Amino acid sequence: MKVTGYQLFWLISISSMIMFSYVPIKLAAEQSHQDCWISMLIGGTIMMGVTWIMLKVCMQNKDKTLVNFLKDILGTVLGKICVTFYFILWFVQMSIIARGLVEFQNLVLLHETPLTFILLFMFFLVVYVMFKGGITAISRCSEVIGPFFVLMLYVQLFLSPQEVEVNRILPIYADSGWLHILKGTLYSFNYMVDPSIILMLFFFAENKRTASRGILLGTAIAMLWGVITTLVIVFITGPNISAEMVIPVYSLTKFVSILDFIQNIDAFYITFWVFGAFIKLSVCMFILSYGLSEWTGLKNWKLIACITTLCLLAFVIYTTYDIRIGYEYKNIIFIGFLYPLAYIIIPLLLWMIGSIRNHRKTSSIN
Amino acid sequence: MNRHAMLTCITLIILLSSTGCADIIEPNQLAFVIGSAIDHDENGIEVSHQIVIPSKISGNVKGGSSSDSENFVVISATGKDIFEANMKIQRRMSRRLMENHRMLIAISEEYFEKHDISKLFDKLNRDPANNLSNISIMIKGGRAKDFLMNDHPLEHLSTIAAQKEMDFNGMKNFSSRQLVIDYLSEGSRPLVPVFNIKESKVNNKETKQIAFLFGFAILDKNLKVKGIMDDVEGSEVAWMAGKETFQGVTIPWKDGNGTLSFKFTQLKRQIYSNKGDDKNRIILSVKAQAYLIENTTSLDMFEVDNIIEVQKYLNEQIQKELQETVDKVQEWGPDVFGIGEHFHRKYPYWWKSKKGNWEENFKEIDVKVKPNIRIRSFGTGGERLK
Repeated sequence: MKVTGYQLFWLISISSMIMFSYVPIKLAAEQSHQDCWISMLIGGTIMMGVTWIMLKVCMQNKDKTLVNFLKDILGTVLGKICVTFYFILWFVQMSIIARGLVEFQNLVLLHETPLTFILLFMFFLVVYVMFKGGITAISRCSEVIGPFFVLMLYVQLFLSPQEVEVNRILPIYADSGWLHILKGTLYSFNYMVDPSIILMLFFFAENKRTASRGILLGTAIAMLWGVITTLVIVFITGPNISAEMVIPVYSLTKFVSILDFIQNIDAFYITFWVFGAFIKLSVCMFILSYGLSEWTGLKNWKLIACITTLCLLAFVIYTTYDIRIGYEYKNIIFIGFLYPLAYIIIPLLLWMIGSIRNHRKTSSIN
Repeated sequence: MNRHAMLTCITLIILLSSTGCADIIEPNQLAFVIGSAIDHDENGIEVSHQIVIPSKISGNVKGGSSSDSENFVVISATGKDIFEANMKIQRRMSRRLMENHRMLIAISEEYFEKHDISKLFDKLNRDPANNLSNISIMIKGGRAKDFLMNDHPLEHLSTIAAQKEMDFNGMKNFSSRQLVIDYLSEGSRPLVPVFNIKESKVNNKETKQIAFLFGFAILDKNLKVKGIMDDVEGSEVAWMAGKETFQGVTIPWKDGNGTLSFKFTQLKRQIYSNKGDDKNRIILSVKAQAYLIENTTSLDMFEVDNIIEVQKYLNEQIQKELQETVDKVQEWGPDVFGIGEHFHRKYPYWWKSKKGNWEENFKEIDVKVKPNIRIRSFGTGGERLK
């Protein structure tokens, strides 16, 4: 299974934009109102930095996946424990996207269709793509879906120029202050781009140099989109409404009115969003099940993918009953512990240990 | 091969039987709501929907209601909130209500008085069937429901007539979204177009109840009506509030002999703070390009001196008129111009001390109107034909 740099670019940009399009803008706008774009910019920059560090780590361990190099660097027990955090992270991400998917479909398009059906169809596709070639098939899909998806998300931002009033972002800084801006960043940056998946995917990259270029570019494209989207939303709706819109990107499509004729294009948007969600879900599913198979030592990762899918299905259905689990975007355990650990602490630690090791190696050779 | 065929069959069966059939709705099962009206009721709210009858519209190419039967129905119900009323309406309907294409929401004056309008906004933001881009208007005097019931001599529906009337008279930015934005921001107050229903003779045979633009309502922070401007003053307010209306103006010439009429285009406005320490002094600058349309004076507009003099005089007259309007609004209190928002953006820290009691503080602001109107063209004639 090999992935080219070009495919990685689309994979990363799709899965990052999917994360971006869901909750972070609301989380930031709630705290810092018209300055939420600063929160997003800071958050995006942090995530770019994280991506860069993760790439460094990956470059140091070119021939291993996350599970194996963690074991190498931190020892078997500690390594295995650390990897579980990533497993949880991916699982949580998948459940957020899967739940968003059904909620959306039910709310906007299919009011009567039972949730289980929508989930079953999506998960069937996800499992199918696993059996049809794993990451090779996924990356081929993303190569096809990617241009449409990214173009659509970018273009829709510029479809309502008559509604834009740039003044709405003023006054900058004075109303919120650093505390609120940073708080907005803190709540939202974890949901922005999605760097952790490269820890697994980099191993499959054909050419490591073009792959890392593709990953950085993909992240940058997604981050740019996120910041522009936030700006456009503030331009169009002003700070007070954008803080109350749960999925602002979707609401943005409702405002589009081309010549008073093309309106309500949200149905198109959702369709493309579902394509993107499919890529995101299958990438996460692939790395999770592949990682689990290495973690447990079971060779058959396709079987594990099936089991994980069933678990995910059960979990998503369960969260619709237990609402508290489903809506914990601001959960202190996630924000204060899981996300910083997975995104910042562990990669930094790995990078430092890796660098020291390399240094020693070179000095011992000399 | 056999296995593949089996798989395809099973997938198709599941696909068709689940999503498609549970949610299929044909266009002929939908009732398109074009306009809605909100009225006061003892129980809370009365919602009326104006629904087109598609079969009547498609046959009637000429437009207007020349046929005996109308091409719309108005169905209304009461409830504690919009949804409850909607459900009651839905129960009486053979088709599903489709609100996505609504153009206009009419709210009666009585409802403005007795209820908190902001409670209507939640449904507009929460329910994906709405998109906040419809126009909101107020119906003066009568019930908003009557506005929907009336037919219009030129258009199929009274809502389309009202929407077009506003569009052709250059009234933009009166969508529900703009209303919500103005309501939520601390430094500006909403301006809502007001329609009233008048009996008017449309031809020798019949008289009809038709709704016309009456003026603009000026709302305060709690969305209560503070006063209604007539359409001339109101469109001046709308111009100065940056909501772009176009209007013509007719001014008598200095010597009292004849008048000059202008049409304005490209209306813009800007708010400046006066230079110096006194923040309470504001310059409201309005810009427009004027076209001379009618000239009954003896001026020869082909003379460049005359053009310059007319332009100067026009600016003076407009200044006088707009200044009076501004003073009137200031007397009433609500800051529909968004001057508070200007302070908010320009002097955010100073604003923090003022915003608490903006209604009162606004009255003390010294607003100077500064028009900048340029004559774009004097038309195709020089002097009046004598």
